[in-house]
Amino acid sequence: MLQPYLPLVFMFLLAGAFALFSVTAAPYIGPRRYNRAKLDAYECGIEPSPAPIVGGGRMPVAYYLTAMLFILFDIEMVFLYPFAVSADKLGLFGLVEIALFVATVGFAYAYVWRRGGLDWN
Amino acid sequence: MTPTYYLLLSALLFSLGAVGVLVRRNAIVVFMCVELMLNAVNLTLVTFSRMHGELDGQVMGFFVMVVAAAEVVVGLTIIMSIFRTRRSASVDDSNLLKY
Amino acid sequence: MTFLAQVELIKPPEIEYSAIAPVLIVLGAACVSVLFEAFLPKHQRWAAQVVLTMLTFIGAGTALGLYAGAETTTAQGITTLSGAVAVDRPVIFLWVTLLLLGFGSILLIADRSVEPGGAFVADAAVRPGTVQDRAQATRTGMQTEVFPLTLFALAGMMVFVAANDLLTMFIALEVLSLPLYLMCGLARRRRLLSQEAAVKYFLLGAFASAFFLYGLALLYGYAGSVKLADIATATAGSDKSDTLLFAGFGLLVVGLLFKASVGPFHAWTPDVYQGAPTPITAFMAACTKVAAFGGILRVLTVAFERTNWEWRGVLWGVAVASMVIGAVLGLTQTDVKRMVAYSSVAHAGFLLIGSISLTEQGLSGTLFYLLAYGFTTIAVFGVISLVRNADGEATHLSQWAGLAKRSPVLAGVFTFLLLALAGIPLTSGFVGKFVVFAAAIQDGLAPLVVVALVASAVAAFFYLRVIVLMYFSEPAPDGPTVTVPGAFTTIAITVGAAVTLVLGVWPSFALDWAGAGGFIF
Repeated sequence: MLQPYLPLVFMFLLAGAFALFSVTAAPYIGPRRYNRAKLDAYECGIEPSPAPIVGGGRMPVAYYLTAMLFILFDIEMVFLYPFAVSADKLGLFGLVEIALFVATVGFAYAYVWRRGGLDWN
Repeated sequence: MTPTYYLLLSALLFSLGAVGVLVRRNAIVVFMCVELMLNAVNLTLVTFSRMHGELDGQVMGFFVMVVAAAEVVVGLTIIMSIFRTRRSASVDDSNLLKY
Repeated sequence: MTFLAQVELIKPPEIEYSAIAPVLIVLGAACVSVLFEAFLPKHQRWAAQVVLTMLTFIGAGTALGLYAGAETTTAQGITTLSGAVAVDRPVIFLWVTLLLLGFGSILLIADRSVEPGGAFVADAAVRPGTVQDRAQATRTGMQTEVFPLTLFALAGMMVFVAANDLLTMFIALEVLSLPLYLMCGLARRRRLLSQEAAVKYFLLGAFASAFFLYGLALLYGYAGSVKLADIATATAGSDKSDTLLFAGFGLLVVGLLFKASVGPFHAWTPDVYQGAPTPITAFMAACTKVAAFGGILRVLTVAFERTNWEWRGVLWGVAVASMVIGAVLGLTQTDVKRMVAYSSVAHAGFLLIGSISLTEQGLSGTLFYLLAYGFTTIAVFGVISLVRNADGEATHLSQWAGLAKRSPVLAGVFTFLLLALAGIPLTSGFVGKFVVFAAAIQDGLAPLVVVALVASAVAAFFYLRVIVLMYFSEPAPDGPTVTVPGAFTTIAITVGAAVTLVLGVWPSFALDWAGAGGFIF
C-alpha cells in the first residue's frame, strides 16, 4: 500500500544526505573570512540598517535591484508546479508550452544579464 | 471551520488595505497596502475554490501572485527613481502636477 | 470530486492559431525586441527597433486581414483557448483599430526630428536636476526600451478586448498597464514631472486593479466560474444571494472605468497626460481608451445584460458625472495637455452612453466613436509636440497665442482637430457623437443625451477658446517656435487629420464595418 511513497522516502534520504554533506564539507572546502556582517545575529549578507555607511544607513540600490530580480524570477517559476502536476495529461502540448514559457523568462534574463543587472557594484 | 469566516477575514484585509492606500503618506507603504489588497483577494479565491470544490480558484491564485510580483518590480522601480531625486517617498511631496 | 480527481480531467485546449496570430505576432516581436535590447550595441538599437516594429505591424495586420477575409472564417466569430479568448466581429474591428492607432503612436514615439534624440530620456538612471541630467538632455540617444514596452502594452490591449473570461482580462489589464506606468516616467525634459506622473499613475492604477481583482473573486464566488458566459448563465434565475453579484460587479466596473478614465475615476488623467512624454500620452489617450471601452462593452453586454435593470442607473450617473467633470474642469485649464485630458474625460462619458445602450446600434456606434476619437487624439498630441521653446514643449495656453501668424498650417490643422473633438459636422467627431446619441435615444436614454448635448456645448467653448487664442491674439515676442517635423510625425499627424475628415464626410463604410456583428461567447 505504501509502495507509491517509496520514491518520496528516497527523496528525503537524498535531501538529508545532501544537507549533511554540505554542512560537514563546508568548513573544509570553503574559505573562512569573517567580517561584521557575518557575525551579526541576523545574517543575510548585508549589515542591518541603520548602519553608519555612506548614504545615511540606507540599503544600497543594488540590493533593491537584486531583490526585485530575485522576486521576479522566483515567482515566475510558480507556473512550473501546476504544469508538473498535470504534465502527463497535457503531453507534448504542455511540454512545448512550458518550454516557450521558460524561453520567455530566458529572454528577460538575457536582457538583465547583458545590461549588467547581475553585477554588484 | 465555516468558509464564511475566511471570506469575512479577506474582506477585512481588503478594506484595511484600501484604507491604508487612502490614509498613508509613504509611497512604499501605500504600495504595500495594495499588495495586502491583492493577497486578500487570493484568500477569497482559494476560499471560494474550496466552497465550490473546484481547482480554478487556486490556479487563479497563482496568476494573482505572479502579477503581484511583476507589479512590485515595476512599482519599486518607479518609486525608487523618484525617491533618488527627492530624497523622500511621501506622496504629499509629489505636487508639481495640479490644476 | 476531490481536487486530485480534477487534475485527471485536465486536457490541452484547442487553439485556433490563425485567429490569434495577430496577438502572437505582436507578443513574439516584443520578445525579439527585448533580445535586440540585450544584444545589439547601443548605436544600432534605434534603427533595429524601428524596423522590427514596422515589420510587426505589417505582419500582424496581414495575419488579421488574412483571417478576417478567409472563406473559412465563420461569419460571427469563434472562441478559442478553451473559451478564454473570443475572436468575433467587434474584436476584429477593435484589433484593427488598435493596430492602426498603435502604428500612429509608434511613429510619434520613434520620431527623432522634433526633439534631437527623441522624446525619451537618454539614460533613465541619471538623476533629474543633476549636471549629468542636463548633459543627457542634449545627447541624441534614447532609452529604446520604449519599443518593446509599447509592443507589450499593445499586445495586452489586444488580449484585453478579446478576453472572454475575467482572469484573462485581468492578466491582459496588467500586461497593458505595467509598461505604460514605466513609459510615463521616461520623458527627456521635465523629468521630475514625468516621474511624478509615473508614481501617481502607478499607485492609482494598482489600486484600481486590486478593485477589479476583488470584483473578479466575488463573481467567481457567485457564479463558480469567471467565464463571462457562465456569469451570464448564473444571473439567469439563480437562487444565490445577489450581494456577491452586485458587489463583484461594482468593484469590477470601478477597475474598468478607471482605465477608461471615466468620470469620478479620472483623477489620474490630467496629471499623467501632462507629465508623460507626449507620444506616450497619445498612445495612452488613443489605445488605452479603445482597449478599456472594448473590455467594458464586452463585460456589460455578455456577462451582465440580464441584470441591466439594476446597474444601468448607476452607470447613467457615472456618465453624467464624467461629462460634467470633463466639460466644466476643462474650462479652467491653462495647459493644453491638461485641457485635452479633461476633454478625454468628457469623451469617456459620451462613450459610456454608447456602452450602456445595450443594442446593436450602441455597440457599433461606440466602436465607430473609438476609431474616430483615437485618430483625432493622436494627431492632436502630434501637433502639441511641435510647439516648442528652448525648454521643451510649450504647453501653456498663453504661449499658444497668435500661433496662426507663426505657422498657419499648424494652426489650421489644430483648429480642424479641435473642431472634431467638439463634434462639428464634416468631422468624424460629429458622426461619432451622432451615432452614439441616436443609439442611446432609441434605447430610452433620452435624458442622458440631453445632458450630453449640454456638456458638448460647454466643452466646445474651451476648444473654441484655443482657436480664438491662436488666430486673434498677437504672438508674444519670446513665444515658442513651431518645429518642422520629420517624416514620422508628419505622417502621423496627416493620417490622423485625414481620417478625421474622411470619417466625417464618408462614414458609411466604417459604420457598416463596426456594425458587422455582435459579441460571441
